[in-house]
Amino acid sequence: MRRVKAVLRREWEEAVRIRMVLFSVSFFPLFMVGFAAYLVWQGRSLPPQGQAVLMNTALIYFFVLPVVIPLSIAAYSIVGEKEQGTLEPVLATPIRDWELFLGKALAPVIPGVLISWAAFGIFLIASCLILGGIPPGVLSPPWLLSIFALAPFTALFAVFVTMIVSSRTTDTRAAYQFSSLAVLPALIPLIVYSARLTAVNLIFVGIEVGVLLPLNAVTLYIALRLFRREEILTRWK
Amino acid sequence: MIRVEGLTRRFGDRVAVEGLTFEVREGEIVALLGPNGAGKTTTVRMLACLISPTSGRAWVGGHEVHAEPEAIRAIVGILTETPGLYRRLSARQNLRFFAELYGIQDARDRIEKYLRFFGLWERRDEPVATYSKGMRQKLALARALLHEPRVLLLDEPTAGLDPESARSVREFIAGLKGERRAVLLCTHNLPEAERLCDRILLLRTRLIAQGTPEELKRRLFGTRVVIELANPRPGIDAELRLPVVKSAELAGARLYVEVSDPHRDNPALVRRLVELGAEIVSVREEETTLEDVYHELMGDTDAQG
Repeated sequence: MRRVKAVLRREWEEAVRIRMVLFSVSFFPLFMVGFAAYLVWQGRSLPPQGQAVLMNTALIYFFVLPVVIPLSIAAYSIVGEKEQGTLEPVLATPIRDWELFLGKALAPVIPGVLISWAAFGIFLIASCLILGGIPPGVLSPPWLLSIFALAPFTALFAVFVTMIVSSRTTDTRAAYQFSSLAVLPALIPLIVYSARLTAVNLIFVGIEVGVLLPLNAVTLYIALRLFRREEILTRWK
Repeated sequence: MIRVEGLTRRFGDRVAVEGLTFEVREGEIVALLGPNGAGKTTTVRMLACLISPTSGRAWVGGHEVHAEPEAIRAIVGILTETPGLYRRLSARQNLRFFAELYGIQDARDRIEKYLRFFGLWERRDEPVATYSKGMRQKLALARALLHEPRVLLLDEPTAGLDPESARSVREFIAGLKGERRAVLLCTHNLPEAERLCDRILLLRTRLIAQGTPEELKRRLFGTRVVIELANPRPGIDAELRLPVVKSAELAGARLYVEVSDPHRDNPALVRRLVELGAEIVSVREEETTLEDVYHELMGDTDAQG
């Protein structure tokens, strides 16, 4: 794990020096918290049932955060290595392919998930302050499961997709745009709940997990196949 | 330290390297010379276990390539075609990352040693993006040496550098001669190869020739002695007729004579010329450069190709 930690540290040391990454990592969560808190503030005079509906709607936006944050870090991570020609010297060290892959995958996922949870926490505190407490029926187990258990899966999916896309492009913006497709699984509950096709329930969360697990497995398999030393050196353009 | 037997690498239908066989011993600096696309980088990548050979075998430090890739990567230091440094990070951060990957125990001291050695210590905490090309190349060399490898693979170490930086990098490589390392230097800078290397491997997909610079010159051009005459007489070249003389040709006041060993053969040659009534102004060996050898051999392969 020593080498995985080294990759993680190096990735983060670089990420904090990229203005675009810093901007998307800090601005987007702040915007989401602000927007969701504004929704709650608008409904502060509603009865508790109405406040619960409004707050549930606001919570939906937090599904997107764990996908969007890792996207920008991962896109810069792979394309940046290509631009700087840094992969070859790294691959010439005794690091194993899986160690490099794990370091690169976790570097965007860990801050992505932690920042999302932190933003969610800030939103809950803000809501408490605005409404004088959390309305009943808001923080149900399916909701908490959606936010805390699904976030790592959606973040990993975003990172695997970005790794696949980045292996075929040398332009960070193109990598970022194509990788944005990875937001789709996170948008499904947003659409379903917004359209009130169903309320947040364990069955739907289960379906989400059931879809994400094989999706993650397939994208991980493709990403791992692309992430072999020889593949990186001879086929990555 | 490096042993290569029949190494071949194909990319689809394209043959990058074919049937390479050579050796680099401990304490030796060997140049891999060839034009762009000759297979130099592919060879280095195979020896560093970055890509696998299509056929053939190679051993580095006694370990077989791709049977023990991690053991090989631990003892090989590589300088890639481009420095490949993290430009947003400082020199110290770059080296610390690689020290962690190589598992160096005394990383802090080792990093300081090499940064001081290459004159980068004063700017150790500045982003590499602010460094000159020469400084980046030195930092890349420091990275290649950080784990004190027994085998060094240097791919175009002075390419694109200004004369001053190129000279300091060359001086550093020349200083490696006394150490117990094997160095394989890829270059198309012929004077550099001639000056720094004990042996030369001429590569153009296949190995065209190998030997010391002197051996290669002798093999191709023999050794010509140029004798300047005060009274050049037509026909004197034909009258030389000595067993040591392979050929002789008079051009103006100069007589070009091909012999096997000037040290041994020149006295007899001079005696014979004096007997023939020649007044000798000077006797010297004709200078043949590695560039002449290179163009002769590469020209031959062009004609064959």
